[in-house]
Amino acid sequence: MSMSSTTAGGAAAEDPVIAAAGLTPAGAKVSRNFDWVIVLIALFLVTGAFHLHYMLLAGDWDFWVDWKDRQFWPTVAPAAAICFPAAVQYFLWTFFRVPFGATLCIVALMLGEWINRVLGFHLWARFPYALIWPSLLIPSALFLDAVLLLTRNWLLTAIFGAWGFGLLFYPSNWVMLAAYHLPVEHMGQTTSVADMVGYTFPRSATPEYLRFIERGTLRTFGGHSSAVSAFFSAFLCMVIYIGWWFMGWAFSKMIWVANPLASYMGLKNSQQS
Amino acid sequence: MMKNSTPSDRTNSKPWSILIAGMKAATVALSLAAGVVGLASSAQAHGERNQEPFLRMRTLHWYDLKWSASKLKVNDELVVTGRVRAFEDWPNNLPHPMSVFLSTAGPGSVMAKKESYVNEMPVLQSFGMVNGREYEFKLVLQARYPGRYHIHPSLLVNGAGPLAGPGSWVEVSGSVDDFVYPLKTLTGETIPNLATYGMGTVLAWQGLWGFIALAWMLWWLRRPLLMPRHLALLRGREDLLITKADKVVAGVIAVGTIALVYGGAHWAEKKYPMTLPLQGGRAVVDPLPEAARSVDVKVVRAVYDVPGRSMRMTLELKNNSDNVLTVGEFTTANLRFVNKANSAAMAAVPADYPSDIVPRSGLVVEGDKPLAPGETARVTLDATDAIWELERLSALITDPDNRFGGLLFLYDDKGTRHISPVYGAIVPHFTDANSHF
Repeated sequence: MSMSSTTAGGAAAEDPVIAAAGLTPAGAKVSRNFDWVIVLIALFLVTGAFHLHYMLLAGDWDFWVDWKDRQFWPTVAPAAAICFPAAVQYFLWTFFRVPFGATLCIVALMLGEWINRVLGFHLWARFPYALIWPSLLIPSALFLDAVLLLTRNWLLTAIFGAWGFGLLFYPSNWVMLAAYHLPVEHMGQTTSVADMVGYTFPRSATPEYLRFIERGTLRTFGGHSSAVSAFFSAFLCMVIYIGWWFMGWAFSKMIWVANPLASYMGLKNSQQS
Repeated sequence: MMKNSTPSDRTNSKPWSILIAGMKAATVALSLAAGVVGLASSAQAHGERNQEPFLRMRTLHWYDLKWSASKLKVNDELVVTGRVRAFEDWPNNLPHPMSVFLSTAGPGSVMAKKESYVNEMPVLQSFGMVNGREYEFKLVLQARYPGRYHIHPSLLVNGAGPLAGPGSWVEVSGSVDDFVYPLKTLTGETIPNLATYGMGTVLAWQGLWGFIALAWMLWWLRRPLLMPRHLALLRGREDLLITKADKVVAGVIAVGTIALVYGGAHWAEKKYPMTLPLQGGRAVVDPLPEAARSVDVKVVRAVYDVPGRSMRMTLELKNNSDNVLTVGEFTTANLRFVNKANSAAMAAVPADYPSDIVPRSGLVVEGDKPLAPGETARVTLDATDAIWELERLSALITDPDNRFGGLLFLYDDKGTRHISPVYGAIVPHFTDANSHF
């Protein structure tokens, strides 16, 4: 099942999937070209749509290092990020048994985020990279895909995979974030490096008071806010996964609609639908 | 016919001539457009004139501003100091300044903010202001990007947005690559440059996971993907689509992901055992002590003469102080209308103060007589200048609340300044405003 066996028309018939599909060598070649066209289109389509969705729902928490707190960021970011992976997993798994829907979505999202951060945030608005690096979601997506393949069941994927998606988010980002939470003294006050980065590089329309961080009483929960948030996020991810799996179902349905303008187009009644 | 024509014939034919002329015209138009864009980009301002007049005339009044330098090299410091007053007649449609944040307004993050103080209190975080009270601020900035920038102090007010103070042009030379902002943490770590700190770990960790993700997708992409798999699935050959090797790889991915994530988090915990959550508190800043109101000001009538670009106001002034006072300046929306006949007022305008916000025509005080202690008198002030139009303040006639506001600076014979707020209704006039007084 090497690359050459699938791209070279003559050898394509040796592939058991091609053989099972009943494709001729020429048909196999066309289908392979079709694969690459669709993959490229899907990559850019998902990048644009998912990036827009994620920026609208989890934007500032993802944009700025001084918004990445223990409460709202680990709750909001995975919950917003699991929507597209669930829907795309439905489509790719149900019709093709391809289990990389979540990874495809998240890689596309991160591609869009880095393009946006480099061109828009750094080169245009001149924010330093230390302020604007995006959250990492790839480990969560890989786990979600792996659970779907291993269980072959959307409900078990929702229960175990989506839980893992939410739970893995904070520790996978802590590797990068921990250094930004070192304590610093500045102007006689204690603060964190992340707060200092946000303070030092002004955002003329995103003042400090807008930050939705560390609010409410969760911070008193034995000092383990991030763990509580991660479990709450895991629960949210499970619910949202189920909802968006069925969103994928709804958008994968083919519906035939009668053409109300058929008579104006010179079509007979039998040709209307 | 075209088959036999030479290239020169073709270029001389009418359609080609029109096309070539069109291309030339387009080139000229594009060049002009590029020039205009070039001029616009060199301005590097950021829309402070776009704020509605009531936002600039009746929220915050900035004065006594000083910029320590106008030419800097990358890493040089710029200190901006001054005073700001939360206005008494704060617009009803805006939340009061209960939560504000001191920053700068500029084109992006071209200056780093090293320190900021209000009434000598450090303001890393937001704080609250009291209407009718004054605050003294200090901003210490560090030049980061070379260029020419209009740098304003700015107070961002929750619910009202950024309210920028007066701006001054600052030129920065050098290279951004030379910018450094070193820092030392309380745990003894040295941060060589805050702008790039931690990025090695970010790029390595994200790159590693990006590589794993691509490998996982390539595991599937190397095989027939869409149509053959769909057809095979329809024919009941799911067994061919998910092989034993696929399950092993998926198991490795699942277990490996958990192991790598928790291994990484454990490494970070070991490397940085003492960390701090983000600091979401607020600073508490008391206003400056309230000065006794030397002069009570009552607006008898105020008119904005639209064609004449002139604000005229008749005020009733009552001198509560023991000094003889004269009207020196009317300031509103960061503009300083200075009475040129008043030497103390003229001396209060530093030579290096941005001249574009000190209207040349100044403030004309009709019947400019000293106000004796205890005296009540009517004076008419005339602030006429094209700057009302240039600063887009003439748009006040379309505000939903036709009121104006500003500060009146009066001076005694020792040159001491006495500040009184001025606010009231304003009537726009579209014909000769003099006839309405």
